[in-house]
Amino acid sequence: MRISDLRISISGIRGIVGQSLTPQLIIRFSEAFATYIGGGDIAVASDTRPSAEMVRHAVFSGLLSCGARPINLGILPIPSLQIYTQGKKLDGAISITASHNPIEWNALKLIKKGGAFLNNYEAEELLDLYYQGKFHRISQPEQIKKETMPFYLHEQRILRFVDVEKIKKRRPRVVVDACGGAAVPYVKEFLEKLGAEVVCINCDITGSFPRNPEPSPENLSDLRAAVKTQGADLGFAQDADADRLAVVDELGNPIGEEYTLALAVAYYLTCREKTPVVVNFSTSRVIQDIADRNGVKLHLAKVGEINVSRKMIQTGAKIGGEGNGGIINTDIHTCRDSFIGMALILSYLANSQKSISELTRNLPQYHMLKDKRRASFRDKKRILNRLQQKYQKGRIDRTDGLRIDYPDFWFHVRPSNTEPVMRLIVEAKEVDLAKDIYDKIREQI
Amino acid sequence: MTDRLRITVSGIRGIVPDALDVGTASRFASAFTSYLEEGSLAICRDNRSSSHMLQMAVVSAIIAGGLECTDFGRIPVSFLQFHMSRQRNRFSGGIAVSAGHNPHPWNAVILLNESGYYLESSEGSELFNIYEAESFQKADWNQLGRLKREKFPLEHYLQGIAEVVDKERIRKAGFKVVADPCNGIVSPFLKPLAEFFNLKLIAINDNPEKPFPHPPEPNSENSSQTEAVVKAVEADLGFLFNTDGSRISFVDEKGTALSEELTVPLCLLSLKGRIQKAVTTAATSSWIDWAAQQAGIKILRTKVGQSSVTHAMEISESEAGGEGSGSFAYAPFSPGYDALLALALVLDLLAKQEKHLSQLTEPFPILFQKKIKIPVSADKTYRVMDRLEEVFAKDNPDYTDGVRIKRPGAWFIIRPSSTEFILRIMIEGKNPDIIEDMEEEILERVGL
Repeated sequence: MRISDLRISISGIRGIVGQSLTPQLIIRFSEAFATYIGGGDIAVASDTRPSAEMVRHAVFSGLLSCGARPINLGILPIPSLQIYTQGKKLDGAISITASHNPIEWNALKLIKKGGAFLNNYEAEELLDLYYQGKFHRISQPEQIKKETMPFYLHEQRILRFVDVEKIKKRRPRVVVDACGGAAVPYVKEFLEKLGAEVVCINCDITGSFPRNPEPSPENLSDLRAAVKTQGADLGFAQDADADRLAVVDELGNPIGEEYTLALAVAYYLTCREKTPVVVNFSTSRVIQDIADRNGVKLHLAKVGEINVSRKMIQTGAKIGGEGNGGIINTDIHTCRDSFIGMALILSYLANSQKSISELTRNLPQYHMLKDKRRASFRDKKRILNRLQQKYQKGRIDRTDGLRIDYPDFWFHVRPSNTEPVMRLIVEAKEVDLAKDIYDKIREQI
Repeated sequence: MTDRLRITVSGIRGIVPDALDVGTASRFASAFTSYLEEGSLAICRDNRSSSHMLQMAVVSAIIAGGLECTDFGRIPVSFLQFHMSRQRNRFSGGIAVSAGHNPHPWNAVILLNESGYYLESSEGSELFNIYEAESFQKADWNQLGRLKREKFPLEHYLQGIAEVVDKERIRKAGFKVVADPCNGIVSPFLKPLAEFFNLKLIAINDNPEKPFPHPPEPNSENSSQTEAVVKAVEADLGFLFNTDGSRISFVDEKGTALSEELTVPLCLLSLKGRIQKAVTTAATSSWIDWAAQQAGIKILRTKVGQSSVTHAMEISESEAGGEGSGSFAYAPFSPGYDALLALALVLDLLAKQEKHLSQLTEPFPILFQKKIKIPVSADKTYRVMDRLEEVFAKDNPDYTDGVRIKRPGAWFIIRPSSTEFILRIMIEGKNPDIIEDMEEEILERVGL
């Protein structure tokens, strides 16, 4: 079976430029979105991919065609766009970014009033509109407005929320790797305002990404080296749309994406407020341990920002996110936000007077193995059923693909929303056990 | 009835959004980009409310196809055509989003070849195949075209006009003129033009942000405002442009609107002694024949439309061409219809002969015209024309464009509009009675 690289799904539309992601498709999708929203004020922002210009023109023409009043925010991190949409009481927004996907990809992510992504039902309705092609086109389009300070609202919310004076006193030395992405125009100034001494690497917009945009340990060699040569207290790495955050400790070692969220949650629960915590099914047990230590409840949600943030609202959780480095703090917004992530971790540093490696060492250690394998949609169900049969003694949860928990390990297998692959995550305290289970499951997929 | 899109090689034209929407514009631009394969496209747009939106769809298609895109902003198509013809080898083609004489909410996406000419049918069959099959060229992410913005060099353009006319002679005359650009895209360029030629300019309807004040066709029917202002300020002349500056009609110093059919004859008189041949259409007044005789110019007739006329000019090596709608092109200047050049030529003629405009038109033979539009549904246009050819088969018709019948003292033509879903009938005769009789006969025999 041929696997198409084009994905039209509830998370938007995503494809490879020069193959599936054509201007015609983007126009239709934008027309469907403007029709769905019913005109109104719709903000548009992008990351730094060279294809953004092509995509942006198609998006604007589609939005105008169906009566929207578009606002051009230029290059902007996706959390900032979500916060702008909420703060300015807009009717919706489109983010042009394929986040951590390689540079040949691009995508539209759809944001509704209030700055959240469309949920399943809303996205289904939009997709119906898209496939029917019955758009509400008008003869006299509006004009495009331009925003010159699109990051301001986001920055102000964070600066007002954290204790800047305390961070200033410690004056941490930070290296930040913005991956030549959407954070580039803003991140240095932001960290300086937080009270840090800042060295920027990969902070130029060059038309290509200086590294793989996924902020996983194997892609952080530039940052690791820079932290060491600069004698920094820590390093931050963002992905291309700046929703995810990875941390390198003062010794130049990546602490692992799972521990980005762990540090933020640990700080929040010990120093700010004891609230329930929400993470997704693929997130490390370390968060469970932290929640237990602080006597708060942990809830699991399906993978995807919209699912986690909805559960946070339902349960009154103020801190949570996704284990891949996506921190959500609802004091700021319900979006995954690398900027509040940096602010919380710097606050932790200032509060504790410890180093990042010490703070991380204080947390329970797990070994996590991740993999993704190409699989057609037809195969996916069969694979899950076979695995469930094989591990039927564990605690089985089919809310989001298949998650099975045993006392000493757990695994999660699910079809990706964004790529034609199956994602596998295995975690155990013992590295050998993790490896053993990982190999066995990989055989099954 | 009007929701069908008019697709010709020179462009697509229709009502936004029923016929012409952003998806259609984008597919058409992708087809043109794929047809050209490589190089760089020059683009511009007019000030219609849908033009920016359509142009963004065009830009996205161009750069997705891997071609460079240079945007000259909001200028008349004629300016772009002028510029492209002077920048040989720089562009492989052009796309203008602009719809001259059509009312709101029409718009058009116009295709230009590498020299700024409207595309012509022999060039276009491959383009249609690509458009229909949607087999578009797609550039990889690192091969996408770049979008550049460039300021249109207005001073070069004005200098270009000055190479055709005697600038000092016009400046010395110090004409007082009334201009009505119909709130179109020529509006912002009137002032620099007036300064260049030392005109005392009184402009009306010159706000491009406002809706069209009257139907955008420059003709005597739409001239009442200009007539009144010419009289009130005692101007030397007045003129009206269509919204993209490709057509012009005049009002003389007495405040009387001249037929738009006189524009081309006046331009030919102005070029007397400098040109040998000129192209016009089967639907243009015989005044052009009279003027051509005065100026020693040979006239060739072809189908209606800028594409047909300018390509006939190229093939026949004619220096000039134009149509009864008030459109005029002068090849040594530019390959496109250019109303500002036509204006300069008429001003030059006035200055040279030191006469009033009414004195220039006085010697023309007395002819009356009647232009009739008959709406036909989109699916019937060609069937109707087929039948008409039969109906008039015995009247010795000329089939250059539609059906043209010549009788003693009068002639008429019936043809389908290439831009709208109407039959256009034009009757010309020596007196109103002949025209009336002819009209009656036509309507009866056409049976619509």
